[in-house]
Amino acid sequence: MDQLSQISTPVLAALIVLCAPLISFGLSAIAGKRLRSGIPATVAIAISLLAAIFIFATVWNGQQVHQQTSWFRIGEHSFKAGILLNNLSALLLLLVCAIALPVHVYSMVYMKGDYGIHRYWLYLSLFCFAMLGLVMADSLLLMYIGWELVGFASYLLIGFWFTRPAAIKANKKAFLINRIGDLGFLIGIAIIYTQFQTLDLVALFGDHGMVREAFNDGVEWRYAQHAMPAFWLTIAGAAFFLGAMAKSAQFPFHIWLPDAMEGPTSVSSLIHAATMVAAGVFMLVRISPLFDAQILLLIGAIGAFTALMAATIALTQQDIKKILAFSTISQLGFMMVAIGIGQYGVAIFHLVTHAFFKCLLFLSAGAVIHEMQHVKETLKLELDPQDIRNMGGLRRYMPHTFRLTLVAALALAGLPLTAGYLSKDAILIFAFEWAEWQSAWWKFIPVSLLVTSALTAFYIARLVFKVFYGKPRISAIGQGTNYLHEAPRGMLLPMLFLGLCSLFPLFSYNPLLFEDTWIIKGFELPETLERVNIYHTVVPAAVNGLAIVMIFIAWRWYAQGKYPQGSLRGRLYEFSAAQWYLNVMYEKGIVKPLLKVSKMLYAFDRTIVDGLVDTGAGTVRWFANTAQWLDRALVDGLVNGVGKAAVFAGGVLRGSRKGKIQYYLFSMFLVLLIVLFVGLKIFSP
Amino acid sequence: MSLLSVLIFLPLLAALLILLVPSAYKALYKYLAAGVSAVQLLLAAYMYTSFDEKLAGVSAIDSYQFVEKLPWIRLNLGSLGSLEVDYFVGVDGFSILFLFLTALVMFVAVVASWKIDKQPKGFFSLLLLLNMAVMGVFVALDFFLFYVFYEVMLLPLYFLIGIWGGARREYAAMKFFLYTLFGSVFMLLVMVGLYFSVIDPVTGNHTFNLLHMMDGKNYLDGSIFSVSGDYQLFGIAARLLAFIVLFIAFAIKVPIVPLHTWLPDAHVEAPTPISIILAGILLKVGGYGMIRICYSIFPDIALDSAWWIGLIGVISILYGALNALAQQDLKRLVAYSSVSHMGFVLLGIASLTPEGLSGAMFQMVSHGFLSAMLFFLVGIIYDRVHDRMIYNFRGLGTMMPKYTAFVAIAFFASLGLPGFSAFIAEAFTIIGAFNAESVNGLLPRWMAIGGAIGILLSAAYFLWTLQRMFFGETRLKGGDEWKARLTDVDGRETFVLVPMVILALLFGLMPSLAFDKINASVLSLIELVSGAK
Repeated sequence: MDQLSQISTPVLAALIVLCAPLISFGLSAIAGKRLRSGIPATVAIAISLLAAIFIFATVWNGQQVHQQTSWFRIGEHSFKAGILLNNLSALLLLLVCAIALPVHVYSMVYMKGDYGIHRYWLYLSLFCFAMLGLVMADSLLLMYIGWELVGFASYLLIGFWFTRPAAIKANKKAFLINRIGDLGFLIGIAIIYTQFQTLDLVALFGDHGMVREAFNDGVEWRYAQHAMPAFWLTIAGAAFFLGAMAKSAQFPFHIWLPDAMEGPTSVSSLIHAATMVAAGVFMLVRISPLFDAQILLLIGAIGAFTALMAATIALTQQDIKKILAFSTISQLGFMMVAIGIGQYGVAIFHLVTHAFFKCLLFLSAGAVIHEMQHVKETLKLELDPQDIRNMGGLRRYMPHTFRLTLVAALALAGLPLTAGYLSKDAILIFAFEWAEWQSAWWKFIPVSLLVTSALTAFYIARLVFKVFYGKPRISAIGQGTNYLHEAPRGMLLPMLFLGLCSLFPLFSYNPLLFEDTWIIKGFELPETLERVNIYHTVVPAAVNGLAIVMIFIAWRWYAQGKYPQGSLRGRLYEFSAAQWYLNVMYEKGIVKPLLKVSKMLYAFDRTIVDGLVDTGAGTVRWFANTAQWLDRALVDGLVNGVGKAAVFAGGVLRGSRKGKIQYYLFSMFLVLLIVLFVGLKIFSP
Repeated sequence: MSLLSVLIFLPLLAALLILLVPSAYKALYKYLAAGVSAVQLLLAAYMYTSFDEKLAGVSAIDSYQFVEKLPWIRLNLGSLGSLEVDYFVGVDGFSILFLFLTALVMFVAVVASWKIDKQPKGFFSLLLLLNMAVMGVFVALDFFLFYVFYEVMLLPLYFLIGIWGGARREYAAMKFFLYTLFGSVFMLLVMVGLYFSVIDPVTGNHTFNLLHMMDGKNYLDGSIFSVSGDYQLFGIAARLLAFIVLFIAFAIKVPIVPLHTWLPDAHVEAPTPISIILAGILLKVGGYGMIRICYSIFPDIALDSAWWIGLIGVISILYGALNALAQQDLKRLVAYSSVSHMGFVLLGIASLTPEGLSGAMFQMVSHGFLSAMLFFLVGIIYDRVHDRMIYNFRGLGTMMPKYTAFVAIAFFASLGLPGFSAFIAEAFTIIGAFNAESVNGLLPRWMAIGGAIGILLSAAYFLWTLQRMFFGETRLKGGDEWKARLTDVDGRETFVLVPMVILALLFGLMPSLAFDKINASVLSLIELVSGAK
């Protein structure tokens, strides 16, 4: 182990980051039901966080750290395993740990007393391990491994309550949709490997990496001796983007994320809002030099469309977690747009701010659901604790939760003083500037983003007002006994931490100007964009103006109860409430036909393929029987020897007859001998 | 007597011993069988570790290891000269993996047959006979010897399915028997043809030596299979015809679509240990035979047929997976999934790239552990309630948590979750197949993409099964009676399952364990085959 002595301190720290959750996972796996406490997992992630802070302090804006060791060889190619720490991975490591720790602490209270709690910590540690591995991986192969493992952990956690039919349908759906993306990733890897003979991220995508050095004239894509038609470069980009679309829930592969809300809410906050779903964005940034202009346009267009679509759906959902899920999809669309317009730093910036405020929104929702569940159980009511129609007026009972939700909601809506303001404005402004350089048609991207952010303000305001304002919808709550309580401190403290992180000071000393944020400065800016000053004032004004108008409307409708009854319940409302009927289309267009094809193929297999075999055997048997009959009736007695042979042959071919096994053996060797003899005759020179 | 021969014939000795022990002591049989298998496993593990990975083998005798060569048959055929057959065995990268796999799977199979009480004497002696034959197939370097082992393999299997199998066991046994015999009878013809075409360069006699058959210089001019290839049979080039015949013989074993229909029937009717052996090793004999015989002896034809072989691989992957999706019998589902997973082997071999070929080899080993595990798991519930229809079970997860955990691990490992062996195998098969167009132009790139879709489908049928059988509220067809009988996995079963999980993990995390052993052989085979252009 001579390599051990050469491990640099940041890499050692990275190993600690990675191994702490792994050890916790191992402990849980071995102990099984005996280990119900969440302390080992929480301690592990706290250790990871400390190490991640150290890495961040050493690596951010400093030297990139890359160390690897030989893993295995195939033919003449060696595959290595290693760790790559640069601004991107150091930031993400820190983010993942910083979100995971509060979620762990919160879970200790939130999941208390659950029957399968030991599995919860097992899965959660596995997730942390996989996610951290994905972030620090130095090759596409390792990334792919982390990529699939986070999907697997997500599968386990969505189906955590595995006796609920909805949960196990949801986790299957999530895994299968993600598998489609994995295929894209795998095909992308195959293309890259074919062209460059390596999967090492630094060698491929570094400053003077192979991808940048490769020659491409639109007809041929060449690096060293290897060449492919140029369209394979586009396909490679599309393949990786397919992976990102599935993981980051982009249209049309977003349908798994709303269903994934069947998992515990603490899980939704960590995995299905803050970290794993952002992995697609992270991966695209990691391999960004690969994308050519067409793919970037595709990414931008899909992102913008997804953002708008998900926002329109979020307007009408009644399940508090579903609203937040569609909001996540929509915000991921924003990040995709940032990538599409080449602003990778901005994409990562929005990823970070979104992680904090969306995680907080989910944890608040969890606190609310917790209380509603409590009410449901004490009053023995038949109600869905996640349905916002059952809530209302909660701010009087849960003031802290309310305040924290408000902070997160404002950040989501992108109002000043919040972190969301900075990152969302950055995306919008850059999108408008970018559109200046494109043909007029592409203006639709920034414009639709603007519309989306107005919708965003509306749906999140609707959520806040419906849940926390007005009067409680359950009549028993308003009277006498206090059934509703503030969330316990173990849940509030992590939320408070996230709330602080959702405000501007963490990111910039200037609450109004995104250009001063240190995260964006940590990534190289593309030079192509020219600053168009007008957008830097008009866009924030427009965004905020629209948001305020929307919030006002929502306040009138939902807080004051002046909802325009009847007038809005048209086709569009149905369309939105039914989530654009995409689930139905998938079911009817893909799942059912696929099952039908598989049934038909099986019938084909049984009747035609196997039928032919059976018919063949039957024919032979008929001949054998005929021969035997002939033998008995005509030849028997005359040529005894021949007759015996025919009986044996008949025995072989007649099929199922007990006690004739010795005949089978004998005739088998007879046949072999005959064939051998014939062969000798034919082939002998 | 070399170590290798000890490994091969030890089970035969044990089988004879079992025949001698009177039936009064029948409890001894299984211990005897388990003991011998354990010794074999140790031997195989020792050979595995002491195997020199720098030596390639394939067509060069001096780089084979553990070689033993003894004259066996010397028959004077008068005008035809003298028939010379050698007992000639040796190990190279392609066989060493299978030796270990065979020893392991055989051991598992013995432990899985612990509860067999129908004629244990016959059962265990046949099992050991089978063990010997399979070991022999993987190391024989003389075609005649190979053929003898190959045929001997068939007999015990026929009886093991036909006597100890399920309700339609005789139909299944006969089908299996005829299918395989159909393949091997024609193989015999080719073997004889090769014998008369090839001469030993040292003695000048005709020879069955496989290594001599791999060298074009040893073919007599004008002989039927001479490399010039102008000899025709039934209007087809003789070498092509021979390749096709051999290919079909091995393809039946693999099995490929459309020659696969014996497999679901055989699996469904076979007792659990035999299913384990069938899926765990016997299917690999097909893949091994293609590499050792088809590709090595007829490299020129192999190059020409790569496209077709790749296509067959892709079709098997997709067809098997889609069929698995339609199954309601758990065992049949696993059987069809075998067809699908073995399709990767063909795709990888056809690509003739180091990645693809290594991936194919790795897939065979990985599928060996995993399919054995899957069939063993199916056997566990079948043992308890004699039913394995998917719809008759629901919510087993609550009742049998450990069992469910093992099933989930086996399913996820089989569907290619990273960390387990199948992931490395399938990923590199796909990468290799994709790479082929750039490296040697043998396979179009869409085939790799087609194969990748198979990975998606395998996730679909495995997850759907998990959902239907193991999750949800418990509901069983047999009601409370089943509930009482469906106990969680016991110590013996855990003892079998845990090592397999560990091996699948070990090979998944440290693929070099296998890749290092085969690397030299893989490169040498590629050189041999692509040199035939």
